Amino acid sequence: MYSRHIIINIGRQLGSGGHDIGRMLALDFGAKYYDRELLNLAAKESGLSAHVFEQHDERKGFLRSLLHLQAGMSSANYARQGFSQDSLFQFQSEAIRKAASEGSCVFVGRCADYVLRDHQNIVNIFVTASMEFRISQVMARQPFATLQEARHFIEQNESKRADYYHYYTGKKWGHASSYDLCIDSSVLGLKDTEKFIAEFIRKRFKL
Amino acid sequence: MDNKQSTLELGQKPVGRLLWQYALPAIVAMTASSLYNIIDRAFIGQVVGAEAIAGLGITFPFMNLSGAFGAAVGVGASTCISVKLGQRDYKTAENLLGNTVTLNLVVGFAFMVVCLVFLDPILRFFGASDVTLPYAREFMQVILLGNMITHMYFGMNAVLRAAGKPRHAMYAVLFTVGMNIVLVIAFVWWLRWGIRGAALATVTSQTMALCWQTWIFSDRRELLHLKRGIYRLKADLVRNIIAIGISPFLMNVTSCIIVIFMNNQFVRYGGDMAVGAYSIANSMVMVFFMFVMGVCQGMQPIVGYNYGAEKYDRMLRCLWLAIGVATAILMVGWALAMLFPHEIARIFTTDPQLLDLSARGIRLDMLVFPIIATQAVITNFFQCIGKVKISIFLSLSRQLIMLLPLAYLLPLWWQLDGVWYSMPVSDFGSFAMTWPLLLWYLRKFKGYVQSSYHY
Repeated sequence: MYSRHIIINIGRQLGSGGHDIGRMLALDFGAKYYDRELLNLAAKESGLSAHVFEQHDERKGFLRSLLHLQAGMSSANYARQGFSQDSLFQFQSEAIRKAASEGSCVFVGRCADYVLRDHQNIVNIFVTASMEFRISQVMARQPFATLQEARHFIEQNESKRADYYHYYTGKKWGHASSYDLCIDSSVLGLKDTEKFIAEFIRKRFKL
Repeated sequence: MDNKQSTLELGQKPVGRLLWQYALPAIVAMTASSLYNIIDRAFIGQVVGAEAIAGLGITFPFMNLSGAFGAAVGVGASTCISVKLGQRDYKTAENLLGNTVTLNLVVGFAFMVVCLVFLDPILRFFGASDVTLPYAREFMQVILLGNMITHMYFGMNAVLRAAGKPRHAMYAVLFTVGMNIVLVIAFVWWLRWGIRGAALATVTSQTMALCWQTWIFSDRRELLHLKRGIYRLKADLVRNIIAIGISPFLMNVTSCIIVIFMNNQFVRYGGDMAVGAYSIANSMVMVFFMFVMGVCQGMQPIVGYNYGAEKYDRMLRCLWLAIGVATAILMVGWALAMLFPHEIARIFTTDPQLLDLSARGIRLDMLVFPIIATQAVITNFFQCIGKVKISIFLSLSRQLIMLLPLAYLLPLWWQLDGVWYSMPVSDFGSFAMTWPLLLWYLRKFKGYVQSSYHY
């Protein structure tokens, strides 16, 4: 079974319960679960502080793109960039590949589907949910005063996530053609959605 | 993994050695390209005459503008390509390479056509007079005809660096500079082709370098090489290239606007000769300033990495070292300017009137020269640690926010001298703004360092 370990990538809308589903799947398939842990791994690889990775985690806004001033102040930049958002992504990707080569994994986000695109036993899943469901999920985790505030939080962070994904993969985030299965978790609820996905994965790998 | 090793070294090797290692290639390349401007101007000034050098000064922002478009594509593409190469996504990287070629051709061609059609009005707007216009026009016609080649050359060089061949890119620059010197001697001095000869020398040497670059990229054994089916523009890729390229573009456009404005002020208060003097003084400033830019580039990865790794003592050591080195270099330039302004001006011209004007100009322009070093290094420091807003504000403060109004106001009292005064005054003003910001920031920072020692 050494070379037969499986990789499950989960893309998720904010508040769709992708994390919980990922965790349950990891239990079901005896896989390791990677989410924020990746940041620590990447930090260890690079010698950089985990704070830096957290600051740049799945974010790519307009101001961030101005960071490229660093590369672009002059058209003759000869010094190799030791530190930029791009190199952070590079370290994170290395961490993802390393983890994937060691055993079965569940990755949540971080463009893992793109980073591991050449891997053989891979299944890409995208979890969506209705706005109401997501708002209630987000409000359970973080105390927002109003529904409006929670909705605003979701929309803002999601657009950053989408930009990040698009910048590094060249694909549109959440676009059905990039995934093997797209599913709305608010229809069946988290538990049953997870069972459904697990069934799909079993069929996919003929387990 | 060699790339990873060199990144980890940023946190371990002695800071001085690292700075030397990273700054040297940048200094060599940047100084080489500023030397190239000097040599062009020197030959034109000596052989063709004082009016020609004024005409050349008028075309300078034009070259900047063309460079702005070239940089937008080149820097954007090279950044995207290095990301894709890091991901071993060779297909997209090749596609980016092809798109870079096409984009450069399209942009270069459009720029050429528009500028050739409106050449005279543009040059007038840039400050050309009846005397300088013919020189500026002759020079720009040749340069513009070769514009696509220039863009391709710069673009390819940026891609070479991204493709892990920074040394090849440096050779290309050194080759162009060397070849240009040989050709300028041949065209301007022996064949007496005038200012057009200098332009032709530039374009020819870039063409030769481009041939070499194309040859490198045609090698099928290379991971990244030119082949069929990669040239069709893809909206996605182009958008990414431009999104990144926009900031170097704006930087170049800013410096272009400043030179246009300064040239116009010089023409207004001192005539064509004053523009010539400004162009001479500016070349002198540039040679030394390029050293400082090289130091700044060298410190970027070191400061950035150590900031990220929370090794603040190393980060600060690198900052102080860079400030020290940069200031020392500018002190040398300052001493030369104060002691031998006539001898420096003599490199560019024999005309007694222009000599006197330039000598005085060099002295005034570079009056407080060494303090620019700190300003540049600190601006760059803020950029390295991701304080982009502060960094943009500081880099604009010297040029746009202070220089432009001063260059408008001071001549109202002191005429031509006022235009010259505006430069040291704005240098000093931005210097005075930079230090408090840094100290304020470092104080906040010191507490942070100490508190992290507590546990």
